[in-house]
Amino acid sequence: MAKKLLEAKDISKYYRLGVLGSRSFKEDLRDWWAGKNKKYREPESESPQHIWALQNISFDVSQGEVLGLIGKNGAGKSTLLKIISRITLPTTGRISGNGRIASLLEVGTGFHGELTGRENIYLNGHIMGMKKKEIERKFDEIVEFSGVSRFLDTPVKRYSSGMYVRLAFAVAAHLDPEILIIDEVLAVGDAEFQMKCLDKIKSISREDGKTILFVSHNIQTIRNTCNRALVLDKGRIIASGDSESVLAGYLHKSRGQFLGTDYTRQTVMPGNDMIRMRKVELIPGYLNDYRIIDIRTELRIEFEFEYDVEEPGQILAQLQVYNDAGELIFELSSQNYHLRRGIVRGESMIPGNFLNDGIYYVSIAFVRNSAVRLFYLESCLSFHVEDYKNSGDGYGKWAGVVRPAFPISLRQEPE
Amino acid sequence: MEKKADWQWEISAHRPWFRFNLRELFQYKDLLFRFVRRDIIASYQQTILGPVWVFLQPLFTTFVYFVIFHRVAKISTDGIPPLLFYLPGIIIWSYYADCITTTMNTFQYNAYIFNKVYFPRLIVPLSSVLFHSFRISIQLLLFLMVCLFYFIKGTSVYLNVQILLIPFLILLTACFALGCGLIISVLTAKYRDLDNIMQFLLRLFMFAAPVVYPASLIPQKYALFFWLNPLTPIIEIFRSSILKTHPLPLGYLLLSVVSTGIILMTGVILFNKREIQIMDVI
Repeated sequence: MAKKLLEAKDISKYYRLGVLGSRSFKEDLRDWWAGKNKKYREPESESPQHIWALQNISFDVSQGEVLGLIGKNGAGKSTLLKIISRITLPTTGRISGNGRIASLLEVGTGFHGELTGRENIYLNGHIMGMKKKEIERKFDEIVEFSGVSRFLDTPVKRYSSGMYVRLAFAVAAHLDPEILIIDEVLAVGDAEFQMKCLDKIKSISREDGKTILFVSHNIQTIRNTCNRALVLDKGRIIASGDSESVLAGYLHKSRGQFLGTDYTRQTVMPGNDMIRMRKVELIPGYLNDYRIIDIRTELRIEFEFEYDVEEPGQILAQLQVYNDAGELIFELSSQNYHLRRGIVRGESMIPGNFLNDGIYYVSIAFVRNSAVRLFYLESCLSFHVEDYKNSGDGYGKWAGVVRPAFPISLRQEPE
Repeated sequence: MEKKADWQWEISAHRPWFRFNLRELFQYKDLLFRFVRRDIIASYQQTILGPVWVFLQPLFTTFVYFVIFHRVAKISTDGIPPLLFYLPGIIIWSYYADCITTTMNTFQYNAYIFNKVYFPRLIVPLSSVLFHSFRISIQLLLFLMVCLFYFIKGTSVYLNVQILLIPFLILLTACFALGCGLIISVLTAKYRDLDNIMQFLLRLFMFAAPVVYPASLIPQKYALFFWLNPLTPIIEIFRSSILKTHPLPLGYLLLSVVSTGIILMTGVILFNKREIQIMDVI
């Protein structure tokens, strides 16, 4: 059996929010008076001022394992990483480990602007736990990787931000810790250097026997890279095990996806005297067994409403697709129809290979005579488009709001 | 169940009061000296005079004290030439004040590192004490040069054996400052009120030590209280190392060693207990 490198038992972390001041001091005094050694408060004392960032987390990491850690923002990933890195203490529980733990992308810690690049390599290396001999041995390699050899004896405050980050990453990349934390959210530097970093991370993670803790939002990456995975949600582990089965389960729980409603089953259907919504539905043309919407998936949108306007006139329907940040990505508009009273069905389609990965919301509007908005149903659908990557692609997020697969080619001209 | 000894490190909610990982501290000695080096380089970066400032600072202070306390307030210097009288007090005092100030602000100044990487936090205050020790050794050279100057000039200067005690006196000052600083750093981490008072207390404390006046000026009834201050015997012994008659207040020195020991132990234990927890409230 492989040697265990890290073992966490029943870890919980309790945080007090808000400002420390005379009020929190009063609370502290009260707690102390009430019996300091009754330990911390019970879990039910979660209030606006207090929060359990982690609850009863237990897991272990063995030598050579690549463990994925997934969870939404605020699920407790960073808190867990902080506890693993021994930066903060758990409120309960115990964590034990062997060797160095380092994050490849948490770079440049302790860099001092007044010192030269050379001095900073040593300073940063020591802070990260390297021995003097180790740094001396890797020094040339670090300098070469950073590409700042010309400026080695210049104080780093004179460096451009790009050079600074390159030097910092170069040290981190040669750290060679027992457990490597790769937090995808923390990519650094300009595009070119980012590629270099990601290549380096990839080559490190491919090395045999490297133990890695991989933190990501991206399910595809986790599936490609990790053999085991943990899913965190609201400070708890909601699933753990081999990554395939964990991810399948995680996806079924569909993080906030909202693929449609049959309003006829509700007591009140949204709408007004003229329009009553009966149904909205998003039907993905799944390409895989996991029922994940990824960037290739074709999405059909169907809706149904009761139309109740006597006077003759024209009506059109509009679909608006917003991204997570609330920006309107695009708007679709039907042509004008002469409709009679009764039930009307509508249908639209977003092709595959069009939206980039991310979270999207759909709103529907109905407009009469191209002028009067009869009804607007906001965010009636929401869905999450996953990235899809061939194993050869990088780790980073594809840039841009949309991601169409328009042809682009190169051709060698005859000389 | 696997044995506990299998783990190189272990952290849990409860940090024991008395468990010191001296071996780990020793493993980080490279970092300790690197920090000292960083401070030395950084403090003289972009100055023309560089380390000469280490000389000039006590000389300027001596000049100011000479004018104010000697000339204007006419406080006795026990018959010692004013320069020689003020220098020991100023050197020891500024060493103490520098060490205690950097130590007590350990968490606030280094939060940006402490929030990212683990290493024994004690390395940081130790390194700043070492950095200030580097400065005080240069200042000692200055002191010896001044002594030499007076000696050549023919003033009554006698370097007696007590001068050999000076390294020990400095070590004692360092331990005292480190102990106080560690205690304050832990106490002020969460509520910084004490921090504001400290500035004031420190200034007040200077006048409780024989920096600008000789110990002989203290009335007999306050003497015990006055000598309880560990800095008092330190400064007095330092100062008398250039005198012909050199009373050695051994009893008080011993008392100073004991009280410094207690303060340092308290500081280290408190710091060791709280060093990680504090990061949640910085």
